[in-house]
Amino acid sequence: MSRDAGRFLRMSYVVASVAGVAFFVMSVALLGIWPGHVLEDETRTMSPEHPLGLTVSEQRGRVIYGREGCAYCHTQQIRYLHADMARFGSPTLAWETRFDYPHLWGTRRIGPDLAREGSTHSEDWHFAHLYAPRTLMADSVMPAYPSLFDGSPDRPRQEARDLVAYLDSLGRARELAGPEGEAHARTACQCPDDEMAQMAFHATALNANPARPRRQGAAPKLAPAGNLGRGQQLYAHNCASCHGARGEADGPGAAALHPRPANLAGHEYTVDRLGYVLWNGVAGTAMQAWRDLPTQDLAALARAVGGFYVAQQQPTVPVDLLDLGARVYKANCAQCHGDAGAGDGSAVGELRITPADFRGARPSVAESLRALRNGVEGTQMAPWTGRLSEAELSAVAYYVRGFYQERP
Amino acid sequence: MSQNVSPAATPAVETRLVYAHGLAAIVTLLISVAFGILASIELLVPDLAGNPAWLSWGRLRYDHTQGIMLGWLGNAFFAFLYHAVPLLTGRPVTSARLGQWIFGLWNFAVVAPGWVLVLAGFSQPLEWAEFPMVVDVFVVIALALAIIQFLPPFFRRGLEDLYVSSWYVIGGLVFTLLAYPMGNFVPELVPGARGAAFSGLWIHDAVGLFVTPLALAIIYYVIPAATRRPIFSHFLSMLGFWLLFFLYPLNGTHHYIYSVIPMSAQIGAITASALLGVDVIIVVANLLLSLRGSGVFSRDVALRFAAMSTIFYLVVSIQGSVQAQMSVNQAVHFSDWVIGHSHLAMLGFATFAAAGGLAHVWQRIPWARYNARALDWSYWLLFAGVILMVTDLTVAGLVEARLWQSAAPWLDSVRAARPYWLIRTGSAIPIAAGFIALLLGLTTGPKGAGLQSVEQTIGLEPVREIAPRLAPAASEAS
Ligand code: HEC
Ligand code: HEC
Ligand code: HEC
Repeated sequence: MSRDAGRFLRMSYVVASVAGVAFFVMSVALLGIWPGHVLEDETRTMSPEHPLGLTVSEQRGRVIYGREGCAYCHTQQIRYLHADMARFGSPTLAWETRFDYPHLWGTRRIGPDLAREGSTHSEDWHFAHLYAPRTLMADSVMPAYPSLFDGSPDRPRQEARDLVAYLDSLGRARELAGPEGEAHARTACQCPDDEMAQMAFHATALNANPARPRRQGAAPKLAPAGNLGRGQQLYAHNCASCHGARGEADGPGAAALHPRPANLAGHEYTVDRLGYVLWNGVAGTAMQAWRDLPTQDLAALARAVGGFYVAQQQPTVPVDLLDLGARVYKANCAQCHGDAGAGDGSAVGELRITPADFRGARPSVAESLRALRNGVEGTQMAPWTGRLSEAELSAVAYYVRGFYQERP
Repeated sequence: MSQNVSPAATPAVETRLVYAHGLAAIVTLLISVAFGILASIELLVPDLAGNPAWLSWGRLRYDHTQGIMLGWLGNAFFAFLYHAVPLLTGRPVTSARLGQWIFGLWNFAVVAPGWVLVLAGFSQPLEWAEFPMVVDVFVVIALALAIIQFLPPFFRRGLEDLYVSSWYVIGGLVFTLLAYPMGNFVPELVPGARGAAFSGLWIHDAVGLFVTPLALAIIYYVIPAATRRPIFSHFLSMLGFWLLFFLYPLNGTHHYIYSVIPMSAQIGAITASALLGVDVIIVVANLLLSLRGSGVFSRDVALRFAAMSTIFYLVVSIQGSVQAQMSVNQAVHFSDWVIGHSHLAMLGFATFAAAGGLAHVWQRIPWARYNARALDWSYWLLFAGVILMVTDLTVAGLVEARLWQSAAPWLDSVRAARPYWLIRTGSAIPIAAGFIALLLGLTTGPKGAGLQSVEQTIGLEPVREIAPRLAPAASEAS
């Protein structure tokens, strides 16, 4: 062996050690620092000028989210994949994550992605869900967090309020940026040929969560004769938790919700109304939409819901009572419920929860009287007992049943 | 060459530190496994025990993985190092006093308080970095002390012609210290997607620069020591080593494929992941060729653990290379498939290596109790448990992936996973039993029975003779 070669062999560990450190530095540079620069650029150029960050309360909620390991069941990162986009919405852009110290992307999904959770569920739903998830979603495996409450979902501690505030902030910045924000980002991206980047701008919906209620929207037309057995099964898994096994609004989750779930046994529904409600949910309430169920399943559910109504002999009503009802209605109710009972009165724009639409849902007299006497908690439907006489109450309770439009 | 390792010097192995870390390893292992079992049960019975905050799923999940990595593997690696470093270098570790400090810091300033703080609600939501930052500071201090403890013997011996285990030890300790802050501190300072890029680095470095090198150090050590034959090829060992340290850190971004992180970084990581599979084939071929004809299964249980660890290493690495590919990743990412993968890595590969290492060093502590039958049971129970759990989770992942690609409601994937989660919890029975057997194997039985068992299986030689055998054979090195 020549002396040089021997020396080289002996010194090779020096070369090797330098190389080892170089590998490591290279990995940090290539996969950490360089992508960081690209992302920082992207954030700077594509972000709206003053994106909304988190409030102090939301920030505290974020800490709770981190501490409870929510990120180990929920990602906050919608990938540039059609499967992700179909479920959750537009892929996450770099600038949307600019306030996340530390990021909460997650690498496991036992529950759904939450990057666009904001405005997907109502506040009462969140409280009830955090307090006891299975009272709303019977088959959920999400942990319950009663320690964030004072013994009931109606008594959230500050921690629960903070956490729900945080959940409601998820995806908000991009939503508020609006079409102008999207246009700005798209121009700034300068990436017309980057197919992947373009996916973020061409998603059909920014938030595609199938549970997100819509204030208005089309709904599929359901076949009137859905499969009853299937419907009952679906009902037991998805609805009974709130609406009760027999539709009497007495499920385990009912008490915590404001408004309470509808008493399905006390209403007649048109199939169209059920199609609309299942497809769009009831915005502002805990009634989510069920757009992830195929249309046959919705039809089956509609059939099952229809089956809860116990047809009672409603007494025939004297004409003068109906006249009184009409007068009372016109004077007191029409501005909200609309002249034709469609829930589209002139004041609707100011209401958080749309007034009942009597054309598609006919309450029994008892049900109406209950609403008139007690009001509908959690909505602007106030009690009328002080303002209307007993006779007027009964009269209008009969009267509103007349709006129902059953189609053959 | 072999005069570099003086065969005459009886290296002073701090057997008490070996013993202390070994026992701490198994105790923390049992606790970590209990966290894991509880978390798995909570997926079946979510409203367990009235839902106290400190028992909630997320916190158990944090403590499970941190306990496995730092408590179990960390302690087991230290136990092995106290035995192997003096034998590899022919020189004692820096100081027994320092060893007591490291032991105390690691277990009473890192693992125990880390667990308690997480249960009390102080943690950080970063993968493989869940202990709060105060604890991270002590991890860094302890790692720095470990470098002071274990590396000087190598320098005093001189770095020429080091056996590959030595390189893995040096590389593992140094690069873990460098990489640790990347996953534990940087994402707190760098937001969102940018921070995630660093998290990705650490998620893979935790496995690639801490667990893998030290587990391979054990395997590379135990195989020649127990078969009493040199490793098949020192050249392949070193090739494997360098490729590993080149490729592992470049894998990080494969945890965020199809994310907003620049595509070229993603593709780089995916390519590195594929190449890593090739490298692992080299490493494993070398190890298996070294085992050829040695009658692994009839022999020493430590060797059997190490051999099985090698096979798991091959399978998990090939699986990793495959699941990093975009077409596979888009389907199985986020699913139980990945949980199966990480258990194959940590419970299959790393745990088998660590258990093999512990059994091996225990045999060589003259005063330690040793129960060969219990260890035999431990091996087979763990083997059955790992196969059951990983198969089950892999299938679960495929089922979830199929449902996620379809239009089915989200909860359908949760409903479909239930039976698999039940089996997974069931797999905890052989696994927990295996670990209890491991504990019994190392704490019951007659004192010194380890040496007897070595005698019966591979024939007793003075322990110090093991060292020179590990240096490259003179013929190969020149
Ligand atoms: C063990 C896994 C797990 C953990 C931990 C977990 N969740 Fe969930 N989460 C789920 C599952 C499964 C669902 C779907 C079923 C349901 O709605 O309950 C869900 C649903 C949700 C939803 C409704 C999503 C939607 O749009 O339909 C929200 C919001 C939510 N979780 C928030 C949280 C928060 C906040 C935490 C932490 C405090 C958390 N989760 C922790 C499993 C988990
Ligand atoms: C989280 C609890 C919850 C679940 C689960 C739930 N609902 Fe509801 N549901 C409500 C609430 C709250 C309302 C609104 C009551 C109101 O508007 O005052 C409602 C309203 C309704 C209405 C009446 C809508 C209208 O105004 O005409 C129907 C019909 C209905 N739900 C059917 C279902 C069906 C079918 C399912 C299962 C697929 C279901 N709900 C699941 C809470 C729930
Ligand atoms: C300020 C607007 C407003 C006024 C005025 C108003 N309502 Fe309502 N009403 C609502 C809202 C909002 C709801 C709740 C809808 C829901 O729960 O989804 C409601 C619910 C009801 C319900 C229960 C529907 C059901 O299906 O159970 C009845 C019955 C009702 N109103 C009758 C009346 C009558 C009769 C009057 C006049 C005396 C009246 N409302 C006046 C807003 C109003």
